[in-house]
Amino acid sequence: MPIRDYYLLSPEISLASIAMAVILLDTVVKRKGLLAIFTLAALALPLAFTISLWGEEGRAFGGLLIVDQFSIFFKFLFLGVTAAVVIASQDSVTNFKRFQGEFYALLLLATSGLMLMSSTGELITIFLALELSTLSAIALVTFFKTDQAVEAGIKYLVLSGISSAMMLYGMALVFGVSGSTRLEEIAQAVGTTRLLDNPALLMGMLLMVAGFGFKISSVPFQMWVPDVYQGAPTSVAAYLSVASKAGGFAVILRVFYVAFAGVSMEWSMLFAVLAVVSMTFGNLIAMFQSNIKRLLAYSTIAHAGYMMVGLAAVAARNPIGEGLGTQGLLFYLTGYAFTNLGAFFVVIAVAQKLKGESIDDFAGLAKRSPLLAGLLALCLISLTGLPPTVGFWAKLYLFSGAVQADLVWLAVAGVLNSAISAYYYLRVVKAMYMSPAASDERLTPSPAISLALLVTTGGVLFFGFAPSYLLDFAVRAARGFPG
Amino acid sequence: MNVGVAASIAFWIMAIIAVVSALAVIVTRDIFRAALFLILAFLTVAGLFITLSADFVAAVQVLVYGGAISILLIFAVLLTRDVQKGNPSNRMLKPAVFLGALFAATLIVVITNSTWKLSGDSPPQGTTAAIGDALVNSYVLPFEIASVLLLAAMIGAIVVARGRDE
Amino acid sequence: MLTAIIFLPIAAAIVLALCARNDKQVKWIALAASLAVLILSLIVWAALDLSNPAPQFVERHSWIPAFSVEYYLGVDGLNAPMLALTGLLGVAAVLISWHQQVRVKEFFFALLALQTGILGVFASLDMMLFFLFWEVELIPMYLLITVWGSGRKEYSAIKFLVYTAASSGLMLAGILVLYFSVGTFDMIALRDTPFTTAVVTSQGVFFLLIAAFAVKLPVWPFHTWLPDAHTDAPTAASVMLAGVMLKMGGYGILRLCVSLFPGVAHDYAWLIATLAVINILFGAVLVFRQKDIKRLIAYSSVSHMGFVLLGVASLNEVGLTGAALQMFTHGTITGLLFMLAGMVYEKAHTRHIPDLGGLAGKMPVLAVAFVIAGLASLGLPAMSGFVAELLVFLGAFGVYREATILAIFGVLLSAGYILWTIQRVFYGPEKPRFAHIGDATKSEILPVAGMIAVIFIVGIYPALVTDTFKAGLAPIVHLLGGGS
Repeated sequence: MPIRDYYLLSPEISLASIAMAVILLDTVVKRKGLLAIFTLAALALPLAFTISLWGEEGRAFGGLLIVDQFSIFFKFLFLGVTAAVVIASQDSVTNFKRFQGEFYALLLLATSGLMLMSSTGELITIFLALELSTLSAIALVTFFKTDQAVEAGIKYLVLSGISSAMMLYGMALVFGVSGSTRLEEIAQAVGTTRLLDNPALLMGMLLMVAGFGFKISSVPFQMWVPDVYQGAPTSVAAYLSVASKAGGFAVILRVFYVAFAGVSMEWSMLFAVLAVVSMTFGNLIAMFQSNIKRLLAYSTIAHAGYMMVGLAAVAARNPIGEGLGTQGLLFYLTGYAFTNLGAFFVVIAVAQKLKGESIDDFAGLAKRSPLLAGLLALCLISLTGLPPTVGFWAKLYLFSGAVQADLVWLAVAGVLNSAISAYYYLRVVKAMYMSPAASDERLTPSPAISLALLVTTGGVLFFGFAPSYLLDFAVRAARGFPG
Repeated sequence: MNVGVAASIAFWIMAIIAVVSALAVIVTRDIFRAALFLILAFLTVAGLFITLSADFVAAVQVLVYGGAISILLIFAVLLTRDVQKGNPSNRMLKPAVFLGALFAATLIVVITNSTWKLSGDSPPQGTTAAIGDALVNSYVLPFEIASVLLLAAMIGAIVVARGRDE
Repeated sequence: MLTAIIFLPIAAAIVLALCARNDKQVKWIALAASLAVLILSLIVWAALDLSNPAPQFVERHSWIPAFSVEYYLGVDGLNAPMLALTGLLGVAAVLISWHQQVRVKEFFFALLALQTGILGVFASLDMMLFFLFWEVELIPMYLLITVWGSGRKEYSAIKFLVYTAASSGLMLAGILVLYFSVGTFDMIALRDTPFTTAVVTSQGVFFLLIAAFAVKLPVWPFHTWLPDAHTDAPTAASVMLAGVMLKMGGYGILRLCVSLFPGVAHDYAWLIATLAVINILFGAVLVFRQKDIKRLIAYSSVSHMGFVLLGVASLNEVGLTGAALQMFTHGTITGLLFMLAGMVYEKAHTRHIPDLGGLAGKMPVLAVAFVIAGLASLGLPAMSGFVAELLVFLGAFGVYREATILAIFGVLLSAGYILWTIQRVFYGPEKPRFAHIGDATKSEILPVAGMIAVIFIVGIYPALVTDTFKAGLAPIVHLLGGGS
């Protein structure tokens, strides 16, 4: 293998190495607080490699690893999310006597899996990368070992096992039809066959979508979401809702762009229907939640629906991906990352002080901590998709893509759903600003969580006013993508 | 009777045993017997691999599933409390049977009606060397990812299996 | 200049949130900001060159190049008076809330943020910017109703929010279809470029756009949010809602629907006229059934907005000018009526009409003001309402004779309900429970007097406003095939 192959893989290699280094360091240092700082500082290494890869186009390991603007976009996204989650986890993790290093290590390993997911062009590698991220995530979900956490972990394990089995079966069928596991060779074999002429291909794609649907938490693979989010450490739930989801979308985009480009038109309708069902289901159930983490869980199902509007738009264009669909989706994923992390981080900050996660615990928060209340309100407004936040532009681009792809009805369905979602997001805002507080004691967030909040909500506002920085980035990533 | 026909007959016999013993795993009330049926299913699958000229995979199947995993299973049964209660049954049995049958029927229809890409080459004699070559050359990336995956699983298992002391 | 006007309120809001030490400072900062907005918008209006149909005071910067969204502001004859109206009612809303005691800082913050949103809608010439401001205004208004409202305030607030957000979704779809067909969000350029049919026909886009404006205006049968929201909102928010937010709907119809799709507007003018008549009569009839003063005024707004629609349906210079003038005058008159209703409520602690009565003796100033506002509302000559309705009738009569005659019945009905209301609230025997009630205070008289002055000035010398509107409407009239 030439040295260049390893250079192209350097972000992932360095990330996995840091994971091991953290565990080793854990056995040596006395002050465990250093672990988070070390992890954070060491993240600069994969970040530096990713930056140096910026602008590179290349294949490595016989074409299994694909480095392009698209995968680098996702690598930046995953690294950023991981850094934010590391900062936000710091407080809860330091409560442990042992296994602090393992927490960060698992987080980093999950991230390296996600990064690989976004940059492979071969089914076996996709499967292994996906399992790497999922298995690490299961351990993270169970980390606190409370009854709820164990239940969540088992649910996640069993359901992810089932969905992986389905995906693997689907990959086997696709291999049987095409004779290859490489996306480009599959594309040649599949060509523009009509799907009904070759039911095994249809079935294989359907089963693969099932596996990816689990990752992006779309209906009907959403059963795990509420319980896992509620039981998992909040920072891990935030990570799952943002990074895992983005990883799933990266894989779906790559698979459909490259392998199934010839038959993608026929998939647009499936994604459109899943999108509408997901967002409607998520929004309707979210209205009746009293636990904020469950509310955010159903909201994330709804957002998976909005994002699939982008997929439908991508798939509906001929040639595939021409137009705003891809960049809209990339922009949405990033905007959603800032927003949802911000919302979860406020939940962490409040739960640290109040030991409660019900919406009633947020009553009167505006009096007890105007800053936290204001930031959560900002994030919720961004989730609703109202200006002046990044969420507004994200929805706008995504729905523009749908309109451009002649899916006006889908865009309208998306906006109507946003209007419904305003109801439950603003219910929280109302509780914070109007309901009387249980006590007048002030809440001051810890320094670590404040830093994490500053970064994420700063992004929500900054890209709310100046979306073009982020958009140009997304446009570049989408343009560099093989068509 | 040539080798091909014999292999076909062997394939079908073992396939039937595999499916029946898999069913028995679910139906049997006694957990220990269920585990034994599972091991039988593993071994017949290994046999299936042999009839398909996949000797390396067959050997791995016997070593890993027939050997290691079976022993783990037996140990797990040994260490389980309330073994006498047996395999729990539940209310979802009928819908599950229905859905399973539906899925199987769909698959049969799909598999018989599809055009498969068949290789014209004759099966290789001895796949071990070829697989080894593929793993460290063209498929080195997934091979390495698998090792990281195992590392993650190991760390995860240690974390999850710790006592509830903290 | 326009940027200053739009962002002055929100800047003041931030200043008062961060710096103000007590409620008094908050109020003075808010007052100063809204006064400055009023003065600046009047200067813009005065400096407007009416002979030039192109937008003036233009500020145009590329904002999001990848999506060709521009920061594009400008005024012409159509929106300059609207900005001034917003400034005027902004000042009135601040003064009317002078006695606000609950969460003063947040209240004025929301009020000023609302003002920024509305000003932005009127001043934007880029459709995406227009849509953005259209959405910006939702949250402050929602908060104003739900936090400082009365009655079923939470229900009303969420109803307002969901109706508006859902309908603006349709507008967004329309805007995007336009964009992908023509390739720009620039309203002026769109007006001059014929729409080439894309996926959706021009009729489709027209109705997508008009749906949002119809909810806002509101047009029957999409009006049901309005009585709830108006009734339960605090006085200042009712003033802003009735005074300027409804006009955003009318303005949108003129600026986007009629001027971008004159052909479609021609084809469906009969539909608009029919809806206009239904609005006028249906609203007026319902007014008679109302027992709550604010709800009564709210339904009268529905009726009066019908005249705007009727003027639009006429599609000629006189009718359109009448529609625009009706928006302006209705803003002042209904704003005034809501202010007065709020003052009555504050003093009598009830808005239930059967409980009121004989107040004229106790609060002569308010009674006189209410009578003046009421007379203006029913269209008495020498007041602004008369001119506007007259123009609408003149414009529409030649086109839709039957509809116009039916609409004139609406005026008769409004005369009936206004006089009946005045009689029930202010005249009749004095009730003992109102023995210790006082009249309007000085700080209350000031905005009332100001509004009354505007009503008279426009009524006596309407050319002051109509000339501006005519200039602004000239390009649209030209598109429709010359003046009438």
